[in-house]
Amino acid sequence: MTHLSDDTFESFLTLISNQTQLDLRDISFIDPYGMVGILEIGRFFYSKGNNKSLIVPYSEDVLKYLERMDFFKYAEKYFKLEPDAPKFINQYSRKSFSDVLLEITSIEKSDDIHFIVGKVKKRAHAILEKHLHYNERAINGFIVALSEACQNIIEHSENTGFVGIQKYHFQNINKNVVKIAVMDLGIGFKKSLEGLHTIKDDIEALEKALLHGASRYADRGRGHGLAAVRRFVNEWNGKLSIRSGTAKFSILPDWGYGKEREKNLTFFPGAQINIMLPEV
Amino acid sequence: MTTCNLFKLLKEELKNGSSDLVTRPSGQIIRERIERDIEKEKNGEIIALDFSKIGIIDYSCADEIVAKLMSRLLGNEYGDKYIYLTGINENQKENIEVALERKDLAVLAEMRDGKKILLGNLNNYLRETLELVLKKDKITAKDLSEIKKLEANTSGTRLLNLHKKRLVKRMDEIRDGGRVWIYESIS
Repeated sequence: MTHLSDDTFESFLTLISNQTQLDLRDISFIDPYGMVGILEIGRFFYSKGNNKSLIVPYSEDVLKYLERMDFFKYAEKYFKLEPDAPKFINQYSRKSFSDVLLEITSIEKSDDIHFIVGKVKKRAHAILEKHLHYNERAINGFIVALSEACQNIIEHSENTGFVGIQKYHFQNINKNVVKIAVMDLGIGFKKSLEGLHTIKDDIEALEKALLHGASRYADRGRGHGLAAVRRFVNEWNGKLSIRSGTAKFSILPDWGYGKEREKNLTFFPGAQINIMLPEV
Repeated sequence: MTTCNLFKLLKEELKNGSSDLVTRPSGQIIRERIERDIEKEKNGEIIALDFSKIGIIDYSCADEIVAKLMSRLLGNEYGDKYIYLTGINENQKENIEVALERKDLAVLAEMRDGKKILLGNLNNYLRETLELVLKKDKITAKDLSEIKKLEANTSGTRLLNLHKKRLVKRMDEIRDGGRVWIYESIS
């Protein structure tokens, strides 16, 4: 496998489930979804007392990218890195790069989201205004959507998670895009909603949460956070995918690809949110 | 009118250096502080929540602070008091409006440019009546009947409903030997 992104994550999950090591040697491209996904895989096995080995990519460009996204800061904890992290960690200057909107950041409590919002606000004009041509209203909407997506972890997962954001030039549509990945290892959408709703399977849980504002909390006004994310992504012609358990539900724009509903995927705990926003 | 500086409250309560109202737990902390402050105010007081130094407010925080405060105010939990929003910008307005609409609530607000607006849901009759109260500052059911050519009962009901939604103040006065309800703008 040479590309690790939201497109290839399913194949990657299937590949690694019975392996003692994650082999990234041939990876030449990795996006925030791939990166945060690897960390969550590592954290999952680490929580079971099983530290998997991670063979880092050969590509120096990919290593540089992983380093400036703070990947190794967390990977060191959950994996046995091969070669050892100190051989390449901190040797790449970050000053010359301006494509990282948010390094991989852990989400454990409400204050973490304040930190994330503060950091993204500082960099928003350099990336969202310059490369995505977002105006102030769009930047505000972006930050609110990010905040709501991250809050999903605190409010519903009963666990912790990670977020990472990066700007790319997306060849398929010849446009700049920003990719946001938010993941946790929590109870997932189905279990979160089951207390108040009758839920058949993971795909129904995702649909009810995303399209009908279903929430684990009974009080009025709850369950609209993800709807706010969906509204923003729709308005700015973006793509939104949420994976939980064995299913994935996507809101696809006109330039989008992939399926709207996917079932019977390899089980992975928690929720994995992917947002992709093109320049306007 | 008592002003509640939300930026100051945020600094005092969260102590994390943020100027943004984001997340439900943060909203809950800020709302509980506002509730403690509201309790100290006398009946009839208007509490202005000042957003002028606040950056972003997300939907969850808008629901936790503004929508819950309005909902409880209407449920008579704080006594005869009123809430007014000031120093709002266009972006904040958008999220506060959605949070209020979800609960079928409304609140009066003053934008940063001084423009007074209504946020949330209110039917057209009441909206029209509210605009008139804002324009005249004080009005009686008789005044409303004369201006809008309405039955006395209709005028009285409209003004009373605005008062129940805490969008206008109500006071009584003795005029020509009889008690008259005066409805007053809270802005």
